[in-house]
Formats: sequence, structure tokens, C-alpha cells
Amino acid sequence: MKKLKITIEGMHCSSCAGNIEKSLKKITGVKNASVSLMLKKGTVEAEDSVSVEDIKKAVSKTGYKISKIE
Amino acid sequence: MKPKNNHHPEEVEDSEIKGWKKKLVWTWIFTAPIIIIMLAERLLGIMVVSRTQTTLITLILGFIIVFILGWDTIRSGTIGLVKFYFNMDSLITLGTVIAYLTGIFYFTGWVQDYSGVAAMIMAFFITGKYVEAKARGKASKEIRKLLELGAKKARILRNNQELEVAIEEVKIGDILIVKPGEKIPTDGLVIKGESSVDESMVTGESLPVEKLKESKVIGATINQDGILYIKATKIGQDTFLSQIIKLVEETQSSKVPIQKLADKITSVFVPAILILAVLTFLAWLLASGDLSRSIGVGVAVLVIACPCALGLATPTALMVGSGMGAKNGILIRKGEAIQTMKEINTIVFDKTGTITKGKPEVVEIYSKVKEEYLLEYASSLEKLSEHPLSKAVVAKANLKKHKEVKNFKILRGRGIEGNIGPKKFVIGNSRLMSEQKIKLKNFEKKIAEFESSGYTTIIMAENGTAIGIIGIADAVKEDSIAAIRYLNRKGYKTVMITGDNEPTAKSIAKKVGIMEVIANVLPEEKAKKIEELQRGGLVAFVGDGINDAPALKQSNVGIAMGTGTDIAIETGDIVLAAGSLMGVVQAINLSKATFRKIKQNLFWAFAYNVIAIPLAVAGLLHPVVAEIAMALSSITVVTNANLLRKVKLGKIIKKKSNKHYHLLRS
Repeated sequence: MKKLKITIEGMHCSSCAGNIEKSLKKITGVKNASVSLMLKKGTVEAEDSVSVEDIKKAVSKTGYKISKIE
Repeated sequence: MKPKNNHHPEEVEDSEIKGWKKKLVWTWIFTAPIIIIMLAERLLGIMVVSRTQTTLITLILGFIIVFILGWDTIRSGTIGLVKFYFNMDSLITLGTVIAYLTGIFYFTGWVQDYSGVAAMIMAFFITGKYVEAKARGKASKEIRKLLELGAKKARILRNNQELEVAIEEVKIGDILIVKPGEKIPTDGLVIKGESSVDESMVTGESLPVEKLKESKVIGATINQDGILYIKATKIGQDTFLSQIIKLVEETQSSKVPIQKLADKITSVFVPAILILAVLTFLAWLLASGDLSRSIGVGVAVLVIACPCALGLATPTALMVGSGMGAKNGILIRKGEAIQTMKEINTIVFDKTGTITKGKPEVVEIYSKVKEEYLLEYASSLEKLSEHPLSKAVVAKANLKKHKEVKNFKILRGRGIEGNIGPKKFVIGNSRLMSEQKIKLKNFEKKIAEFESSGYTTIIMAENGTAIGIIGIADAVKEDSIAAIRYLNRKGYKTVMITGDNEPTAKSIAKKVGIMEVIANVLPEEKAKKIEELQRGGLVAFVGDGINDAPALKQSNVGIAMGTGTDIAIETGDIVLAAGSLMGVVQAINLSKATFRKIKQNLFWAFAYNVIAIPLAVAGLLHPVVAEIAMALSSITVVTNANLLRKVKLGKIIKKKSNKHYHLLRS
């Protein structure tokens, strides 16, 4: 298990944040994902098998960009 | 704090506001001609240019507004529509694009031209977003301040030379020099120097704190009057400030239960509105046969729906609330605590370190000689002992210079003795006095009184005669009484839990106004006692985070007390940075106020949609008016959240003259 912190650009409403959460949770191996519109940040709890690329893809699929991941 | 390249929210926020502002200005430059032409025609009946020319001009300007200035929205909305991740932008995209297309189809003669409406919807949307971004920026003001609080530079002592380095280069063990007025670079221990330090920015404690050798200092606090030499003990992510920031960020990503319904609605909101808009359009078309009118109504439905207000209701209020908390040293770790707090009816306090200071202190002196004399001689002797009781006497006397002591002896378990000048002093318990055949006449009554108050009593004798007694106890914190009185008045049942025996516990409880005492409790039994109390309702527990972890967890709201330099990060739903009980009162007031704000916001957001959507469906709202209403609803919610700042948390002011503490009530 690992915990990743992501910073997201381009969100401007809460349905955006909700969509990103949904998309992240769809990745197999992701246990939990929460995105804060106010902080423009999110946390993803996932199995080690989940790659940074998977997460980036899931976010960009909804139309937003990850500017930082750690 | 993290290195500079860190993407802090403030940078994102500022660039966001700037972005919207630029768009806002250009949008209105291009929208103005459209509005002038439209108003001239509608209100004054003047056709500045022909109908066809009007449409052409509007289409050109509208293209710039909708597709160039509004590109981010159109792009995000389209991605949402194509990939089935519908969002707010999807609604605006559909609304504006459909309205824009009517301008093109106007030339085929099928519909009336609504392209001006498209431009105006986008203009108001951008305006709304700008105002909202600004209000959101304000909401996160305190948090951003906290993020910027860390020192950037440090003055380091290396090979006897002062060297200014970037904060990232400071290592544990480095000696740092902090001059008056400067920020203490990182957490550390004073190794030389004396000063008072303003810690208000981190702990919320309003009075400066005295720092001497061996004192712990917190990074980002301000050194006021003396030069301090500090050994760095914590750096980077481990510092007190970093911990606070981590806690605050945690709050933001935690959810308040009441929000769940709003979240559920938001997630189905956009698709539901899409369907509703199509149905409205079809119904109007069937009923009236007027294609243009039906499109107008459909567009109004699309743009009036506002999931934003619903989604912003909770996080903005939580943001302002946790920011206000952080400013006052109250760190709300879990959003849930805000909601639970209002149902709490019992507050259980741990005694040692929570109600009391957790270390012995001289609380009363009874003397046949001058108190100053007693203390001066007692302190000179006690200075030579390491016993906690001795330290209490030394601290009370607070002497600059001690008298020279000869023939000093520690009498283990009983006390000390020694000579100062020609006089022989014995200080200790009554057993020591009877051993040395020192009579306690005139003191017996007072000793009994001290003991029934729960004090540890030491007796001082000079040349074989008792001259005074000193009562030492774990003193009650300055504001404990005020805080507990306040809570009692507010109708909470206050309970103290302690390992002390019943009489001692009761005497302290009586002093601070606690209603119920649970004495003789072993540390591991605390959680069980909380469980028993929970049969009578929801219970908050206030204790230190290290020893009381199970009790904190068992309670419905666990409030962990910090010691001022450490915060127990793993336990407690709420953490108080400064170890004052007044913080409990403030935390309760803040939680309640924040929750009230969340409820208000959710109410307005729901009410807005429930009223506005039917009006739009009924064709009673012009699409532009619908868009303005939509923008206003988000702005209202964020602005209302910012109003939380007006709430008074209840403060104490210290009157230096008589050491009394007064509670300021809102």
C-alpha cells in the first residue's frame, strides 16, 4: 500500500473534484481517493502495483492535469 | 517546510484569480458592443445597424467571447460530455454553444438569433468565476498565511563564524543565532541567552513566552528582545509548523457527514439537468410549436442549474473554520468532529496536565517570618537538590543570586539541611522534623489544612525552630476555572478523571467547579470509564495525546492537549496546540459555528436550485438572468462561509496586576 499526494490544475468546481475522485477510484488497486477543490490537492491510497502513470491518466481523462505528484 | 519549488495552494490560487481577471476584462470589452446594440434596439427602438449586420457582429464578437476567452470552459465541458464525466462546464458549454448556433441558423430562417445571449452567458459566467475565485482565495487566507510562515533563512554558527544560509541547509544539531525581532528558523533548544518569544502565530497564545537556557523554541515564532543561541532539534517535515500544516490539510480532505447528501446530488446533478433540459425543450416545442422559444427555455434550464453552490457549501466553510482554528491554536483533524460536537453533553477532563499544569508548584506559604526571607533561604538550600519539590521552591523564589550554603546534606525521603552563615536550616517533611525534635506547635492546624487541600507540605526550621510551611501541589492552570465555569453555564456535564485518591481529586474538582469526579482510576481504565459515561450521551474527552490515546479514541470527540512544543498528531479529533483549557471552549464554539455555517450554506444551495430550476422550466427566466442567478448562488455560498470569521470564539484576557482571568464572551 502507498499513499500519494497529487496537486491538480484546472479544477473550478466541486463536480470536477467529484469526477476526478470517481475516475481515480476506477483504477484497479486504488483503495481510496479524495480530492479537495479548495486545496487543489488530492490523496490516493493504492496498492503498490498502481503506477504514477495510471493516476495521471485517470486525472487527464476527466480533463484536468496533475502538476505534482509525491 | 518544503523547498521552494513546492506548489503551494497560494500560487495556484493567485494565478487562477489573475487568469479569470484577464478574461473578465477582455470579455466585457467584447460584450459591451453587443449589449449596446441590443439595448438600443429593445429599449429605444433604434436600429444602429440592420438585423443581419447585428447578427454578424454578434457572431464575430460572440466567437471571441465563447470560443477564445471561454476556451478553458468549453474544452473542459466538451471533454466532460464526450467522456461522460459531466461537470458544471458541460452545462455552460451546451448552453452557450446551442445559443451561439442559433445565430448561424438565423440565416436559414429557422430560428430567432440567440447568439448575443451566448456571449452574455459566457461573460457572466466568467465574471462569476472571477468573484468566486477571489472569495475562495479569501477563505483560505489563514491557511496560506500558515504556509508562508516558515523562516526562509537561518543564521548559523560554524567554526565560530556567523553564516547566513537557506533554511533547507540547516541540519539537526546546528547552532543557530537569533537576534531580536528575527524569526526563529526551526524547532530547537536554547543553549545560551534569554529572551521572550512571541508564539501567537503558531500556538494562539497571545502573551510572549519567556525562554531561558534549556527552553524549547518553535520554528517560525518571533524572538523579541534578547539574542538566543539555539540548537536545531527538528527540521523540515518534522517541525511543529509542518505538523500543523499537515493537520490542516488533513482536515480539508476529510469529509463532514452532512456533506454526503450534497455529494450524492452533485454526482448525478449534471446528467439529471441535461435530461431535464432536453425534456423541457421537447415539451415546450410540442406545446407551443415555437422552436426559438423552446431553445431559449432549454438554455435557461441548462445554465441555471448550479451544482457548484452545493459542492462549495461544505469545503469553503470548513476551510474558513479550520483556518480560524489554526490561527488560535485549534487544529481540527477530522471534519466529522464538527458535526459530532453539537451533540456532546458530557465533557470529561483528565486531571494531570489537562486541568492542572502537570508539575508541582508552590501554591501556598504560611510563615511566622517574612515570606521573602523564608523563600530566599529555602531556595538557596533547595537549589542544591534535584528533587521536583525543591525545583518548585526554587522556581517560586526566582532568585537572581543564592546564598552560600555550607554543610549541605540530602536526607533521602525526608528533606535537606545546611548552614547559611551562622544559622542552621532544616527543610523537609514532618517525619524529618520529629527526627530532629523540632516542635510544630502553631503550625499543626495549618499543616492539616494544607493536607486536606491535597498539598504536599514541607516545613522549614531555623536553628531548631519551625519558621514556616510551604504547600506544594500540581497547580491548576490559569484559565481552567474560567473555562470549566463557562462550560457548566452552557449546560455541559463536566467530569474529572484521575488516578488521585478521592479527597485530593475532590478538592481540585471543587476548586475548578467540576461537577463529577471519578477518582482512583488506573490509566488503562480510562477508556472503560468513558464507555460507561457514553450510556448517558455523547462524550468528549480532553487529555494529553500520549498517555490518554485509548480514552481519546473511545470518546465521541477526542480533544488532545498539546504542550506548546509538541502536538500529538496521531490521536484526537481536535488537537489544541497550546495546552490551555480555554482552547476547549474555543474549539467547541468554533465547531458549532462552522457546522452552522455548513448547514446554512447547504440550505441556501438546495433552496436556490429547488426554486430556480422550476422557474426556468416554466419559461419564466431569460437565459441571461438565469446565468446571473447561477453565478450569484456560488458567490453567496463562498461569501457566507467567509462571514464565519465574524464569530467570536471566547477569549481570555489576563490582567497582569492581580492575575485574575476574565472570560470575554461573544
